[in-house]
Amino acid sequence: MVHILENGEHFRADNREPEPEPEGFGSGFSINDHLDLLIEVLKRLDGRSLGAAACVCRQWCAIARNDSLWEHLCFRHVSPPPVGVRPVVSALGGYRRLYMVCVRPVLSRLKRRRLGGESEVVRRVWNQHEVELSLSLFCVEYYERLLVGGGRVAGDSPSSSLKFLCMPVNV
Amino acid sequence: MKRDYPNQNHTLFPGSSSSTPPLLPDLTGKSKMWDEFNEQDTGVDELLAVLGYKVKSSDMVDVAQKIEHLEGVLSNDDGLSQMASDSIHQNPSDLSSWLESMICELNPVVQVQLPGSGSIAGSLVGTSTSPGSAGIDDLQAIPGDAIYPPTKKQKSLSEDNGNKTYSPNPIVIIDSQENGIRLVHTLMACAEAVQQDDMKRAETLVKQAGYLAVSQAGAMRKVATYFAEALARRIYRLYPKSPQDAPAFRDLLQMHFYETCPYLKFAHFTANQAILEAFAGKKKVHVIDFSMKQGMQWPALMQALALRPGGPPTFRLTGIGPPSGDNTDHLQEVGWKLAQLADTIHVEFQYRGFLAESLSDLEPAMLELREDEVVAVNSVFEMHELLARPGAVEKVLSAVKEMKPEILTVVEQEANHNGPVFLERFTESLHYYSTLFDSLESSGGGGGGSVESGGVAAASNQDKIMSEVYLGKQICNVVACEGPDRVERHETLAQWKTRFDSAGFQPVHLGSNAYKQASMLLALFAGGDGYRVEENDGCLMLGWHTRSLITTSAWKLR
Repeated sequence: MVHILENGEHFRADNREPEPEPEGFGSGFSINDHLDLLIEVLKRLDGRSLGAAACVCRQWCAIARNDSLWEHLCFRHVSPPPVGVRPVVSALGGYRRLYMVCVRPVLSRLKRRRLGGESEVVRRVWNQHEVELSLSLFCVEYYERLLVGGGRVAGDSPSSSLKFLCMPVNV
Repeated sequence: MKRDYPNQNHTLFPGSSSSTPPLLPDLTGKSKMWDEFNEQDTGVDELLAVLGYKVKSSDMVDVAQKIEHLEGVLSNDDGLSQMASDSIHQNPSDLSSWLESMICELNPVVQVQLPGSGSIAGSLVGTSTSPGSAGIDDLQAIPGDAIYPPTKKQKSLSEDNGNKTYSPNPIVIIDSQENGIRLVHTLMACAEAVQQDDMKRAETLVKQAGYLAVSQAGAMRKVATYFAEALARRIYRLYPKSPQDAPAFRDLLQMHFYETCPYLKFAHFTANQAILEAFAGKKKVHVIDFSMKQGMQWPALMQALALRPGGPPTFRLTGIGPPSGDNTDHLQEVGWKLAQLADTIHVEFQYRGFLAESLSDLEPAMLELREDEVVAVNSVFEMHELLARPGAVEKVLSAVKEMKPEILTVVEQEANHNGPVFLERFTESLHYYSTLFDSLESSGGGGGGSVESGGVAAASNQDKIMSEVYLGKQICNVVACEGPDRVERHETLAQWKTRFDSAGFQPVHLGSNAYKQASMLLALFAGGDGYRVEENDGCLMLGWHTRSLITTSAWKLR
């Protein structure tokens, strides 16, 4: 019999009823029973942590892939929040993709540029121009995948027009 | 008057850097002595006559220059095989012509074996890099103002030219930088020969340029190779046939160029910003694109229109492009993809594609312009091709005026490659493309160790190579073609301004939004430190370090 550790509970491979949690877990509180709390916590994470959270277990993965979390991540520091962006971004591939493909490289590249003189706030506020630029690049990327895919949006990896974002910068 | 005899202890062997002046100590920087020599001009220099060499006093400066040049060349040992001692030289007592023959025989990449210990030129005191020519028959020293540093890494040559004070310099410079300088000289000399229609000399020089180019590395090598090839085509009359390639191939090359470096992206983003601002508040908009290609400019504009306050307008796009040769309707395919994108982001979209061999074939009546529409005309790197035929650009501009555009956005290379004199065009384009290739080197270089896999590095290499081919074709066109075939007739902003002014347009200032967006875009590129955005009287210029390379400008009817 194989024990598969999942969600803090133990399963047996022979499909019997899951055993109750071992006593060591104290009060019996599991975050997975309170998904709204979980979402509140995940909302406050940065991109990297959110990605790591998605690797914890299947349930967390499903939650972390929720696009509204990533929307929050992209625009939580932008004020006022851009209007009407959501349908566009969703249509072009979603906020998670926007973050991975455009926002994260753009921010890290621009942050590296600024590290020269000024002190750097870790959770930097990004401005309207950066938002616009990222969105434009995202749209171009979608179009390129259209071109390559011959009418269908091809593949998951970013298309070549954004390769320049992946290349290391001479700091 | 008592004179000091020249130092008898000439060092004849390499490696001994003597600080004593070489051969002609009385000549080096001592003008007082020179005056005395002049007074006693009997046709032959006395001092040297004592040593057994006959040199006319009037030739002294010349001889000294040649010796210095010879020393410089001989000290530059590139490790190649020495020419055997079967080279024949004239009687060394006739110093001037002996030196001449030495220099003539000398192929700069091969070291000459010195005939015996009595030779003067054996004294190998290092000199600074000589400004002389590349040592082929009938070559004269290149005048100083034809020389400029080919890349930003080369040091300035100006202090060496016309250097009459032969003060000894104990440092021996032996490296490929010397070859790089020589390479530029050779290319320039070749262009000059072509200008003077001296094809035989040009032939020799272009071959030599080929050899020298191989000894270089990086950007210099590539630029020199392309220029040498273009010169060879011109010399041997192997003109590239026109049109050179299928439009599909040209589009492919331009796509790779789009991906490797920011020039096209800059062009698109700045033009889009101008168009967006011109379309503010308008409900029906129509863009006429002279440079449709793959339509890479329009997704970003459509997205910006989709997200603008007040919602998107109805967006009509007319794309103009050359027929694709094979039976595919390339323009229509691009339009279909754009329509798909527009559908995705909920922008009402209409598309029409027009095939035209040349922009001057365009008639505004064909475009079905509607009364309630606001029109923008866009041209990226297309206008300069019209200058190949007289009257074409005026015809196109008057056609544009008939379209009554709200704005006309033009992006062009910032260089004058359309002068009447070949040599000037050559010089200008050498400088321009060297800078371009330099920027390619730095931005394409960071492929290793990047995000996905080794495949990315290989792909980015391929991108870079294709971009270089793209630029190489332009180089070939500028140098090797003439008449209506020469379509890469770039002109500077000032020249375009005059043209647009006289055609009835006035400039529109590109705002600070465009500037900020452009700066941010450039900051994203590896090597982003080298790129510069400059605002020039309302137009935006993108350059590499101090050299502006492309300009975006916007115009409206007066």
